[in-house]
Amino acid sequence: MKIKPLFARFWEIAGAVNIRIKILGMALGLVLLLGTGITLQVRIALTKTVSSQLEKQSISVARDLAARSTDLILLNDLFSLHRLLQETQINNANVLYAFILDSNGRVIAHTFGDSFPLALIEKNSVSPQDHHHTVVLQTNDGLVWDTAVPILDGRAGIARIGLSDVLLRDSLRDMTGQLILTTALVSLIGVTVAALLTWILTHPILELVQATRQVAKGDFSYRVPRWANDEIGDLAEAFNLMTAELAHADDLRREKEVLRRQLLESVIRTQEEERQRISRELHDSTSQSLTSLKVGLHTLQTILTDGEAKKQTKDLYEITSQTLEDVHALAVQLRPATLDDLGLAAALQRFINDWQVRYHIPVDILVYLGNERLPGEVETALYRITQEAMTNIARHASAHKVSILLEKRGEEVVGVIEDDGQGFESHQFISGEHLGIIGMRERAELLGGKLTIESEIGKGTSLFVRIPLNHQRSSSQAISEGGQES
Amino acid sequence: MRRNALFLLVLIFFLAACSPSQTIVTSGYVNLDQRSPLPTPLNRAITPLRVAVAAVISPQGTVESYTALLNLIGKSLQRPVELVQRRTYMEINDLVKDGDVDMAFVCTSAYIAGHDQFGMELLVAPQVDGQTVYYSLLIVPSDSTAKSMADLKGKIFAFTDPISLSGRMYPTYLVNQLGSTPEDFFSRTFFTYSHDQAIQAVANKVADGAAVDSLVYAFAVSRDPQLGELIQVIHRSPAFGIPPVVVNPNIRPQLKAELQSLLLNMHTTAAGLQALKAIGVDRFVLIDDSAYNDVRTLLGDVTQTR
Repeated sequence: MKIKPLFARFWEIAGAVNIRIKILGMALGLVLLLGTGITLQVRIALTKTVSSQLEKQSISVARDLAARSTDLILLNDLFSLHRLLQETQINNANVLYAFILDSNGRVIAHTFGDSFPLALIEKNSVSPQDHHHTVVLQTNDGLVWDTAVPILDGRAGIARIGLSDVLLRDSLRDMTGQLILTTALVSLIGVTVAALLTWILTHPILELVQATRQVAKGDFSYRVPRWANDEIGDLAEAFNLMTAELAHADDLRREKEVLRRQLLESVIRTQEEERQRISRELHDSTSQSLTSLKVGLHTLQTILTDGEAKKQTKDLYEITSQTLEDVHALAVQLRPATLDDLGLAAALQRFINDWQVRYHIPVDILVYLGNERLPGEVETALYRITQEAMTNIARHASAHKVSILLEKRGEEVVGVIEDDGQGFESHQFISGEHLGIIGMRERAELLGGKLTIESEIGKGTSLFVRIPLNHQRSSSQAISEGGQES
Repeated sequence: MRRNALFLLVLIFFLAACSPSQTIVTSGYVNLDQRSPLPTPLNRAITPLRVAVAAVISPQGTVESYTALLNLIGKSLQRPVELVQRRTYMEINDLVKDGDVDMAFVCTSAYIAGHDQFGMELLVAPQVDGQTVYYSLLIVPSDSTAKSMADLKGKIFAFTDPISLSGRMYPTYLVNQLGSTPEDFFSRTFFTYSHDQAIQAVANKVADGAAVDSLVYAFAVSRDPQLGELIQVIHRSPAFGIPPVVVNPNIRPQLKAELQSLLLNMHTTAAGLQALKAIGVDRFVLIDDSAYNDVRTLLGDVTQTR
């Protein structure tokens, strides 16, 4: 409950840094943790050892003082007693103080000079039959090991000495300093080694990342050197194998794509040629025959006097006339002669006029293609795309207004067809229903162009098409550009 | 935030637990810089009876020997008794002279000096083996070839106290008789300030010879028979008046009488006998100043030679 957010916070920071920092952090963290742990442990152990040493020293000095002061106390030789205390202090550098109490508990000699810290007297005491009594006192000069020893079974008084903890503090300080220095040194070595290790570990990984990026860009020729004979080495090998497989698969895909394009192209071309042929046939042959038939029927009508026959002939004439119109419309629909004879602008204008008449939806059409004719396949493609788009609008859009813009901009033709219809969701035309849209796109792409459709429910549909004019009819280029789109 | 603070607190607690001051149990705090002059001792409601004992034997030996006797005196007088010791006989004499002690066990020569200087008064004298005399014994290590003081010429000699009769005056007298002074006669002399230490000095061959109180010698040998094997006595002085118990001439007569009667009757109780035995004495008896006239003569000779 408490650890979880703490860990999350830790991971938020630790997870964000790169592996290099993680490993360095681990190495440094471990060394520091170990260093700190050992320092604390050794400090505790040293404190125990030194304090027990200090206690022993305190007892031995106090015992010695008690033995040597006995006669001086009994003889009331206060001067010698004082000198003895001073000598004790001189000979034992860490003796902070020493003093003698007589059998009545009065201080008769001490090392404090003119005055005496009276509070000290009652802090330690010893009963006559005891060997000694030691306490540790907290003083303004640090810890003091205070030992009281009875002199001549207490009959001559009590000797007290205080041993300062300077020794303890000094050894603790020295030891801690040394350990910190060692830890710092080991940290330095650890960081260096970790940096080296990290480099060894991350270098092949970074190379793999680089290789992955190359593969993502479509460069399957990049190979990762096998850095070490370990798991990462295996990974590199597997990666290289995968890249080779991908390269092979890519080649296959390209081949198939080329074939598909060629096939598509030939299908479209054949279809277009076929339509043209049929259209021409309908126009030249069938229309001519029907026109002759119509003229014949008209003549027959004027010749006949029989009311019934005349009426029949008139009906036939009407039917023939209608059929001729239908054949004509069919021929135009299949392949308007205008497109071949007068160019895209005229063909579109005528198509749109017919479309408006048929569907009663107003269309704004603007075509700026200059005076020169566009290449035939571009004209055909743009015409068919417009045709398909308008068919879709008529069938599905429920539009009230359509606008068409076709413009030559430098070395490409840009077209926009917008309607204010009900629109559709973009995923709809991906499904198989709208083969027409896919066909439009294919047509554009075969010419190295691009076709996009934007639509939203209730906000109409916009179709954008862009076809370059200087497109080389080399299949591979068309495919590689097309490949990037998909 | 509060959780973090709590975590920090726990961490600090563990770290603090590791610091040395926490692993050592202390018993209180003292500010050693907060000092004041030592209080002068208050006048006690009951002033103790102060008894001085001259350093015939070592200070610790004196405490052990005299404690029983002094405790008994204190019990009888119903007041505490304080044992006072000094390194030299002269210091004890000064204490008696200044009235700093009520009663003193002094050396014979010290008594004579005190009596002549300020009228030190005799209280009682110990009786040992039915006599109130003692001797100065000239002792040498048991393997020494010396048979008399003459054989100790050029040797190291241990004196006890500068004014001790048996430890300094008598051997000086002997050297004087040989027509010399200790400074010329011996290669080196030193003071031990007590008879038992002089005995130890000879036993340990720190000194080639020493003169000691016969009472102390007998007492020491009876306590430690091995000592007798390390030492031989090559000369015994004529009998001297025994070291007495003295008081200041201005002592309150009532106290003097009380003390005298107490000491004179000490041997009549079992506890008293026990206490007397501890100091090597049979009983206390009255003694007259004339008992020390022989010693006065001898001291006069030594002083003249000087």
